[in-house]
Amino acid sequence: MFADRQPRSFLDTGALSRLAAVPLCARRPMQGNVSGRHTSPHRGASVEFAEYRKYVPGDDLRRLDWRAYGRSDRFYVKEFEADTNLRLCVVLDTSGSMDFGSTGVTKIEYARKITGSLAYLASQQGDAVGLSCVANGIVRNIPPKRGPAHLMNVFDILEQTQPSSETQLVPVLHELAETIRQRALIVILSDFFVEPELLRGCLQHLRFRKHDVSMFQLLDPLELNFNFRRPMRFIDMEGGPAIFAEPNEIADRYQKALQKYADELLAVVLESAVDFHPVTLDESFEQVLMRFLVGRTRTKGVR
Amino acid sequence: MSFLQPLLLAALPLIALPILIHLINQRRFQTIRWGAMMFLLAANRMSRGYAKLRQWLILLFRTLAIAGLIFGVARPLASGWLGLTAGGRPDTTIILLDRSPSMRQQGEGQAGTKLDTGRHQLARSLSLLGSAKWVLIESTTNTPREIESPDVLMNLPATEPASSSADLPAMLQAARDYIQANKSGRTEVWICSDIRANDWNAESGRWATLRDAFLELTQGVRFHLLAYPQAAAGNMSLRVTNVRRQQGSDGAELLVSLKLTREGVADDAEKVSVPVSFEIEGARSEASVEMTGSQFELKDHRIPIERQKDRGWGKVSIPADANSADNDFYFVFDQPAVRQTIIVADDANAARPLQLSAAISPDPALKLAAEVLTVDQLPTVEWDQVSLVLWQAPLPDGPAADVIQTFVDRGGQIVFFPTQAVTSTSFAGASWQSWVETPDGIAIETWRGDQDLLAHTQSGAALPVGQLQVRKHCGLSGEHIPLATLKGGTPLLARVTTNRGGVYFCATTPAMADSSLAENGVVLYVLVQRALALGAAVLGNTRQLVSGDVSGEQPTAWQQVAGPPEALSTEFAFHGGVYSAGERLLALNRGSAEDQAAVLADGRVAELFQGLDFARVDDKAGNLAALIQEIWRLFLVAMIIALIVEAALCLPKKVSQVVSA
Repeated sequence: MFADRQPRSFLDTGALSRLAAVPLCARRPMQGNVSGRHTSPHRGASVEFAEYRKYVPGDDLRRLDWRAYGRSDRFYVKEFEADTNLRLCVVLDTSGSMDFGSTGVTKIEYARKITGSLAYLASQQGDAVGLSCVANGIVRNIPPKRGPAHLMNVFDILEQTQPSSETQLVPVLHELAETIRQRALIVILSDFFVEPELLRGCLQHLRFRKHDVSMFQLLDPLELNFNFRRPMRFIDMEGGPAIFAEPNEIADRYQKALQKYADELLAVVLESAVDFHPVTLDESFEQVLMRFLVGRTRTKGVR
Repeated sequence: MSFLQPLLLAALPLIALPILIHLINQRRFQTIRWGAMMFLLAANRMSRGYAKLRQWLILLFRTLAIAGLIFGVARPLASGWLGLTAGGRPDTTIILLDRSPSMRQQGEGQAGTKLDTGRHQLARSLSLLGSAKWVLIESTTNTPREIESPDVLMNLPATEPASSSADLPAMLQAARDYIQANKSGRTEVWICSDIRANDWNAESGRWATLRDAFLELTQGVRFHLLAYPQAAAGNMSLRVTNVRRQQGSDGAELLVSLKLTREGVADDAEKVSVPVSFEIEGARSEASVEMTGSQFELKDHRIPIERQKDRGWGKVSIPADANSADNDFYFVFDQPAVRQTIIVADDANAARPLQLSAAISPDPALKLAAEVLTVDQLPTVEWDQVSLVLWQAPLPDGPAADVIQTFVDRGGQIVFFPTQAVTSTSFAGASWQSWVETPDGIAIETWRGDQDLLAHTQSGAALPVGQLQVRKHCGLSGEHIPLATLKGGTPLLARVTTNRGGVYFCATTPAMADSSLAENGVVLYVLVQRALALGAAVLGNTRQLVSGDVSGEQPTAWQQVAGPPEALSTEFAFHGGVYSAGERLLALNRGSAEDQAAVLADGRVAELFQGLDFARVDDKAGNLAALIQEIWRLFLVAMIIALIVEAALCLPKKVSQVVSA
């Protein structure tokens, strides 16, 4: 796969090989275009029996269950579950705030690792992968497709994307909810520095479109702990006004604001049935992904 | 509050250090590109009350800690001595100590006297304050003496209680002279006194002069008054007013008259019984007197003595009370000496009434003699035995004047009467003018009935001076104090100020043609007898003296017969008692003014020091609490508390992990 190329910085082959052991599952039926390993909302030709249905004129006679006819003298059609592939749409926040990182890795770098790994894993199990880089609008958008060539395109975009400008996550998510075809797995990677109440609408919108939504909230340990000692001038990475603050003085209130935000966000994601994963940058991305994948196997989609 | 090291207070601006460091720290901020601005904005919108308050409190406690340290090392003093040490250690500290008998008053329910407490307080306070030089001026000698340290006040004999009154203006004058003579630098004058009116003599003109003199001094002089103005309610004082020896057919006896005064009680106060103890040369007797009002007089209390005892001493005492200094009174008695009068007269008509009035004794026990002489016979007179001179001749001149002056300086009395031939000679600054005749006679308009020769009698009755008629009188020039004036203001009887003795001028003569002095002989007789008694008081083998005023005597040669055993021989003149000087016996007692408990009002004391740097603190006799004490420990404790509180406020809050990964 990397024969004639430089290895991608955000791909860890060791981690990928370990993660490949766990399939990427959807929590609800997906609507793919080819056969795959995910449940479909429709009946199909798998080996898994679904139900008996009364024969109606027009049904394929080959699907009549003659044994049932022999027993009951009635015509029944035997139906099986359909398996399909899924469309994985990764929404990557590339706003200015994603360039922050105090542990040697920035949020965007961390997000690249998760996105690249997920894309690779999905691609490996035959799912279509798409990528939307969003900031104050949709910066780059590549619709879900299958195939290694498409995956290369996704990696290229991932490699090239740079964080800039402010976040307009809410309108972008609404737009994506409308533009992405129904029943897709949508993974959003962002720091979600927007009001949780505004986010609620987007998530409901995505849910309404029958998407399976997962959220990775990437936060730096410094943003969580706020353990500064000296007076600081905080320059907004998204171009807002700078703030001068005495950390000793403001730390309490910062923590309060952070706690309030976390509580509200949790309430929103629970109400919206979103698969929510808060992530701090000092965690191993492999563990985060493993947790994500394993968690999904338990809640594998029902028909 | 005062400080022993006030210069260190110059470091007080250092208390701004925490604020400066805070400001500098604010300027040394770091810049960081930050993503989670929404939380910062939300934090900024939240109420900043407590956090802001905490910051201010931390700054405040840091400031307080530094202030506590600076104040601590400046050695603060807790005291009422306002503005105690404005410029640090003084160059000279002068201590004016009032040793008067009233300073022996004890506090209510306290053991210490005012003087003891004052000495103790001064020793403690001044040791703490320090000074380059210490000078003591005590009230008996008014002489500055340098002392090693204030601690010696506690055991120096010159600071022990005395019987003589204080003269504060004289003490201050001595202090002022010392400052000027020694050119001392910044000087502190500490006065320890009970501000009795008689000691302070506030009406004296010397105060104004003193004030001006101190104001003229260029080096700063600061006055501190440690006052003990509390009156001793119920204190009783004793004073012997008269002692006479009387020879009867069956023996001799002493007639002692005394006066008891109770302080601070109304005239109708309840009756108290006072045991009065009499001691005649070691033989004791006691009499109990019932006293109702504030004053009591015992007249002629008879004490039998041996027939052959002509002279001796005695002591009268009452039980101890608030002030032990006025419970004893010493006296001496003797056969009265012959009171001799020399009459120098030109006019026989005038000389005769004078001789009669000087020779007739008012008391059988008294022997009087009057001799008429001319000026030429004066050198033959034994002046040591003369009490009074009645001079009706031209004013003495040359050797005669010297003789008379010596006689007056010794304490003798002289009354001058004018002669027909007026000369321009003067004596003691006064001289006769021309005669004025008024055949109808002039009455006497005013005379001084409160004191001196024409004073009222002991029963309070006025002398019949107003009944006198003066037909001829001679004018008087020079400085004099009129004791009686004729209508029109011409003096009839005047006194000239002298150091000792008495010099009187009577502007008319007892001659019939000149006045009715001889006809109405009462006034002349009383006048002559009183002058005679005054002159006789300095003669004889016994003498009653007022402590501190022993002019004409040699205290260094005295031997103590009775009195306080702790009195040093060099200080006999200031301690009440009985002393022998050769053949003579002397009784020394406190002055009569000491029995008057009047204290100067606070306002009056402040007026006396008006314009001067003056601070006053009132203390109480027996007070054990130090006037000033170092309180740097308090400040260090305050500093430690401030540091602990500051540390507690600075403790970082336990940060709760808000979002778990």
